[in-house]
Amino acid sequence: MDFDKLDKIIHEKWRLAIMALLASRRSWSFQELKAELKMSDGNLITHMRTLHKLGLISVTKEMRGRPQTSYALTAKGRASFRDHVAVLEQIVKQWKNK
Amino acid sequence: MNDRSRAEEDLRVIRTLMERATTYRAISAPTALVGGTLSVMSAALIQLSGYPESSLGRVIRPHEFAFIWIDVLVLTVIANAFFVWREAKSSGRPFISSGMGLALRAIAPNLIVPALFTIWFLKVGFLGAVELELVVIWVVFYGLALLSTALFAPRSLAILGWAFLLTGVSVPVVANAVEGLPDDVPNVVMGLTFGLYHLIYAACVWSRKRDAGEQPVDE
Repeated sequence: MDFDKLDKIIHEKWRLAIMALLASRRSWSFQELKAELKMSDGNLITHMRTLHKLGLISVTKEMRGRPQTSYALTAKGRASFRDHVAVLEQIVKQWKNK
Repeated sequence: MNDRSRAEEDLRVIRTLMERATTYRAISAPTALVGGTLSVMSAALIQLSGYPESSLGRVIRPHEFAFIWIDVLVLTVIANAFFVWREAKSSGRPFISSGMGLALRAIAPNLIVPALFTIWFLKVGFLGAVELELVVIWVVFYGLALLSTALFAPRSLAILGWAFLLTGVSVPVVANAVEGLPDDVPNVVMGLTFGLYHLIYAACVWSRKRDAGEQPVDE
């Protein structure tokens, strides 16, 4: 088991951080994600679009006084994230056994 | 960096992010500082009021005692709302975050008994000199309220909760064991717990934050 087995889309530093946050709660608003990760609007939007195109996250737009966009992991996204963490754990375990 | 180190680092980042996202500190350091300072000042005011040369020149009456501490609570809650609003504004987060909602739902049931007991005290209880019972109820249930958030709170908050709870339950035991306790015990307990404990908590949280620094998660 090595890094080649990892999903390259999820394994990017920022996307992995986004997936980890989305896995910790039911949903996150754009502002919350931006504040937590200290990312610029443009950078965050680009990564969210990539994850959304692949069906890993869902996007909800609603009016709460002002327009608010919130994000959540889809079932596919949750499974992909779980698999990703399992591969990372496998790599660590493999090296420990060597 | 080999594959193992990279994988360990990735797992550490994931764990840190997920823990941070699910941790909520119901009492922030600035709130504890304001609450602690107001409590120490109020306890000193009540303590000194009995001296003839003080501006009041008489001992604080039981219902005045309760109202002073309710004022401290109200002022601290207002200060806390301001700190939360300021933090929400600067970070672009909602005023009532999901963490705050969770904490309020956990804390609320613990406030029913002290609220009812306080109402009873203000209506008739003050006639029976039961300030010590009132203080014990406040301290114990405040400790329980903090402990009810322990599953998603940092360890320091749970320690503060235990400190309140253990102090609260030990007061009646000590009061029964020791003959002729002075009348100012309820005030001393309030100053010690809501004053000193909060100030110690604020100092600990601030010093830990300073030691840890604002470490970004992507490092």
